[in-house]
Amino acid sequence: MNASFDSRLLNLVIFSPLVFAAVLALLPKTEKGQLRSLTLAGMLVNFALTVWAFLRFQSHGPEFQLEYRVNWVSEIGLSYHLGVDGLAIALVLLTGLLGPLVVLASWTFVDHRVKEFHLALLLLQTAMLGALCSLDVLLFYVFFEAMLIPMYLLIGVWGAEERQMAAMKFFLYTLVGSLLMLVALLAVYFIAQPTGARSFDYATLYNGLLQANQQVAQCVQQGLTADTCTTASPAALALLKYGPFMFLAFALAFAIKVPMFPFHTWLPDAHVQAPVAGSMVLAGVMLKMGTFGFWRFAVPLFPQAARQYQLAIGVIAVIGIVYGALMCLAQRDIKKLIAYSSVSHLGYCMLGIAAFTPEGATGSAYQMLNHGVSTSALFLLFGMLYERRHVRLMSDYGGIAKVMPVFATFFLIITFSSVAVPGTNGFVGEFLVLLGSFKSHLPLWVSALAATAVVLGAAYMLWMVQRVFFGPLTHSENKGLSDMNAREWVTALPLVVLVLVMGLQPQPLLDVIAPSTRHYIDRALFASGPEHQDLRRVQINVRGLEPEVAAAPPGQKLNPAPLAVPMGSVRLLPATTPPVPHGIPPPVAAPLPTLGH
Amino acid sequence: MIDCSDFQSFGQYFSTHGFTDTVTCFVQNPPFNTANIGNSLWMIIALPILGAFFCGVFGKFMGRSNTHLIASASVFGSFLLSVMVFWAVNPSSTVAPNPFGSTLRYAVGADYGTWFQAGDFRVNFGLLADHLSASMLMVITGVGFLIHLYSTSYMSHDKAYWRYFAYLNLFVAMMLTLVLADSLVLLFVGWEGVGMCSYLLIGFWYDDPAKAFAGRKAFITNRIGDFGFLVACFLLVLTMGAFTLQAKNNNFPGDGTGSSQVFKAGLSAKGPLSFAAIDAFTRALPSKADSNQVTLSTVIDNGPLKGFAYGAMVTVILLCFLLGAAGKSAQFPLYVWLPDAMAGPTPVSALIHAATMVTAGIYLFCRLSYLVVLSPTAMAVIAVTGGITALLAALIAFAQDDIKKILAYSTVSQLGFMFMAIGAGAFWAAFLHVVTHAFFKACLFLGAGSVMHGNAEETNIKKLGGLSKEMPVTWATFLISTLAITGMVPLSGFFSKDAILHALHTTTLEGYEHILHWVWYVGLATAACTAFYMMRLYVLTFHGTRAPDAKVPHAHESDWQMTLPLVVLAMLAIAAVAHGIPVMENANREGPLQTVMENYLHPVFQNAMRSIEATGFVTVEHEEGLPWGAWGMAWAIALAGGGLSIVLYRFVFKRDGQWSGPAEFIRSLAQHKFYVDELYELLVIRPVKFVSFIFFKIVDSLLIDTVAVRGTAWVTAQTGAALRYLQSGDAQSYAAIMTLGLMCALFYALFKVL
Repeated sequence: MNASFDSRLLNLVIFSPLVFAAVLALLPKTEKGQLRSLTLAGMLVNFALTVWAFLRFQSHGPEFQLEYRVNWVSEIGLSYHLGVDGLAIALVLLTGLLGPLVVLASWTFVDHRVKEFHLALLLLQTAMLGALCSLDVLLFYVFFEAMLIPMYLLIGVWGAEERQMAAMKFFLYTLVGSLLMLVALLAVYFIAQPTGARSFDYATLYNGLLQANQQVAQCVQQGLTADTCTTASPAALALLKYGPFMFLAFALAFAIKVPMFPFHTWLPDAHVQAPVAGSMVLAGVMLKMGTFGFWRFAVPLFPQAARQYQLAIGVIAVIGIVYGALMCLAQRDIKKLIAYSSVSHLGYCMLGIAAFTPEGATGSAYQMLNHGVSTSALFLLFGMLYERRHVRLMSDYGGIAKVMPVFATFFLIITFSSVAVPGTNGFVGEFLVLLGSFKSHLPLWVSALAATAVVLGAAYMLWMVQRVFFGPLTHSENKGLSDMNAREWVTALPLVVLVLVMGLQPQPLLDVIAPSTRHYIDRALFASGPEHQDLRRVQINVRGLEPEVAAAPPGQKLNPAPLAVPMGSVRLLPATTPPVPHGIPPPVAAPLPTLGH
Repeated sequence: MIDCSDFQSFGQYFSTHGFTDTVTCFVQNPPFNTANIGNSLWMIIALPILGAFFCGVFGKFMGRSNTHLIASASVFGSFLLSVMVFWAVNPSSTVAPNPFGSTLRYAVGADYGTWFQAGDFRVNFGLLADHLSASMLMVITGVGFLIHLYSTSYMSHDKAYWRYFAYLNLFVAMMLTLVLADSLVLLFVGWEGVGMCSYLLIGFWYDDPAKAFAGRKAFITNRIGDFGFLVACFLLVLTMGAFTLQAKNNNFPGDGTGSSQVFKAGLSAKGPLSFAAIDAFTRALPSKADSNQVTLSTVIDNGPLKGFAYGAMVTVILLCFLLGAAGKSAQFPLYVWLPDAMAGPTPVSALIHAATMVTAGIYLFCRLSYLVVLSPTAMAVIAVTGGITALLAALIAFAQDDIKKILAYSTVSQLGFMFMAIGAGAFWAAFLHVVTHAFFKACLFLGAGSVMHGNAEETNIKKLGGLSKEMPVTWATFLISTLAITGMVPLSGFFSKDAILHALHTTTLEGYEHILHWVWYVGLATAACTAFYMMRLYVLTFHGTRAPDAKVPHAHESDWQMTLPLVVLAMLAIAAVAHGIPVMENANREGPLQTVMENYLHPVFQNAMRSIEATGFVTVEHEEGLPWGAWGMAWAIALAGGGLSIVLYRFVFKRDGQWSGPAEFIRSLAQHKFYVDELYELLVIRPVKFVSFIFFKIVDSLLIDTVAVRGTAWVTAQTGAALRYLQSGDAQSYAAIMTLGLMCALFYALFKVL
């Protein structure tokens, strides 16, 4: 495969749903079958492209691959820059997989405003993939915010009784966080490049802060504050003084998205009210934006502050784990229970992120994927039941296994995955997170407390299963329920298979994630001790902006901006780095196009 | 040592040598190539999994007989393979790969590659069969096959037969994974997997909420144990990680057993939680204080465990493992799930809740014997736990009337015996009891199932009676097994139980000199209790007259599919005697004679025994000759207990006998299981539910959602509403405020200037 196609691949991945959305817009709104089929086709194409991108990703290649970069608004240093690392490509694959399943799950469930519904789904897909693939922070921000609108509509228009309140709550909650993030982002933008050439490019920002971060760490290790640390550069002083606040702003934005205790109360409402599709996407991908944000932005950009708040994040994560599990025990509403179980499971993700150990980070990344598979499968399966009965309380069911045995089997398998029985995907993630947490600097009791969720998780999930599936058929309305039909089989089977495959053969995926994990740990621990001082281990190498942009639209004149060339790591380490346009050449031949010939 | 070098075939060798030598050589010379059998170990697990898949997915369409055939055949196939493995581990030339340097003799194994790996942690798909695993394989697949056969008749009226056999096959596969795993993590797959199958099978008749609840109770109680298991694993990783950094060269003496490089290479190849790694770790960690070595008393100087001594960590790890084992093997205080687990079909109780799954905890400690012997504290706690469990369960069994409940408590009690043996360092005795118990308890459960089957599912022993004529095969096999469990000569239970009591009597733990002695008394008392309640069960069920309130006037004997397993198991309960008689000389041809089991398991426990000798934590008093005195006493106790029971229930009380006075009070306590379930309800379940409810109502709904979230919205709205009055549109008031503001500014400026 030629390399220049690879560089366009992510564009295809991100915008193929948008193209289908454009076609969809032309169809008459009464042709519901056509609308659904076309959306399904679009999602399948999109899924195929994500698989392609996943296969093109080489786990031994450079950190960011399949890159694409052109000038956008060069006056403020904004470029359209795409690229994925191991974690991002795995999440992209998950997003691509959920796309067609979501359409299938809503096939008969959504029957009014069908056209708008599918448009929203396709737009949401584009926005999520865009956020995962962005290497420019402003671009990320744009996609990150763009996700809100279709999701707001999905909840607010196609949701249950209290949908508008839930949609509003979801929107406002998330917006508060992202606005804080925007402020912090601008601050980073100004601090990282004190003079002249400023850029929103992730690599430039990160590399620009590196030396400052190093000095900050030295100041802190000597016990100096911003007033007493005289050796530090102005950027380092600013970072020393405001870094914790900036970190907190980022952390808050992402903590709301995750959601971490105590910012989680929007999630149960949103999940309960959202239609199946909304719940699946919300649980499957959107919540991961929070953990992904910690992984990509909050921790690497402010390692010193992150380490300073490590205990706090770890403790809050563990509170989330235990508290979420306890909440589940107090629920009567099944969707609410699953939503609170998400709080608990994402607490594991956050614990792994806060552990700053390779095991923890790997487990956290894997747990993100697991949760995407298992929890969206739970929502999907419960959606099937909801479509038949339109009630959500456990007491409205009972003995369902008698009338829907296949469905009960599917649900039970997913339950075991959610409970993290070994052999299912949940175990690998949970085990690694807990191991990482035990190995970390977090106190042992914190990790031990996190492990108690092993018991609580089984308690609430099996309690729910018993109330819904076992016992006698108490409600006469439930006697005539039909078991899963062919479409439902097709929808649920991939996730059930994935639960087992990911549980028994996790290593191929872990290999893809491993380089990201390594980088994450290096960056989180950067300058924390004498063995973590090597700038070249942590700095980010991406391609620079090309003087001639091959993919420029015809007729548009693109001048290389004055700030365009000294991108990436080049400016930072002139002594050690050869001044090639795209930074340090990666150790292994990368599928990058040769530039600037 | 018998020289078998000229052995070619049984007949050829028998013509020139004696029978014993010939048998020994025959066992040590499997007629197949043992070199590659390790690579085929996966098939033992794969067969039942395949069976489970076919039964579960296609069983409904295949019909009953095909399902029976597939389910039973897959387990029988595993049994044949297990026989081969059992045979293959005998020649001394059999060596399993071991990256830690030392040779792993009498074992076969294979590594099928990485399962998952992150940082410097790794888990492989590695299987290993040594004498311990191979014996377990035989029990699991052998008893498992018999129970499959039995089930074909027992479940012949059940519509969901395909689900039953799928679960049962899956259970066998998981149990095999548990015993074949060569690392704690893979063992945990089997460990949780059997728990999951147990959950499914206990709640097999899920339309009964009580049965579904029993399944859930079993799983969650097991999970409490699993919490301990996981924490133990993590702490073990931390301890070994700290040791790797801190170890000195002297920790790895150059006697060919490995150096620190070998240790590190082994760790990165097999992962820290593989048994080979733990074994190597315990060998490198001596007990005697030595400034040139890291020892048990050395304080950890790096990592999260900094400040703790290695010995203390080993104790903590073992206690966490004890929690795990207590969950799975139904020990105090986590035994409460096992009696409720009798809600499942009776063959399930026989296989899972008597013969195999519940012995997983004992298997775990036998596997980790080299770790166990490093901590006398943990050993004492294990022994005491076993003692409390054994006695408590026996006392409860006194007052139960449900045939399966009595057997369940008896299982708990016998498992307590096995834990006592572990605590005394007599791993082989514990394991011998595992094996004999598997035979006679499975036979008892299946017999109970046969009784229920022939009496319209009646389980109350007071409503049975007089079955010895009507169900002759069930009666005979039940009698044999009852005598075996009560410890009558010459049945297997006598020797295995006596081995445990003997070990308790002759062993002393350093620092806990008298504990084992007390546990010994408890053991003797429990043995008497066992004989009493088992005889009571037997007498009330099979003798006397038929109860007037019996469900059916006449019982019928079961089909051959059910009676054949009974007969085989009863015969095994007798034949297993061979394991328990001390006739073997040990490897050095010195010291007292060993039992066959002790001799056979010697390669498995030799590191532990070496450790015991080196540390002096455990001292065993050896006696010359056979322990006739101890045997006599054990026999007398069993006879007294059983005899008393026969007299009381055959002639004094009969069926309707009532206790009176204080005895009635005790009986009532025991009948209500000492209110332990109620205690749990009060101390654990209700508080957790209450806390979660309070948190939900107060923290989540009130504080966060109402006060914080809606409060913010409310404040915003109120502020907006208040500020609305400023935006009145009245130009004059705007002008007035503007003037006021300007005046203030002016005033301030003047003030500053002046």
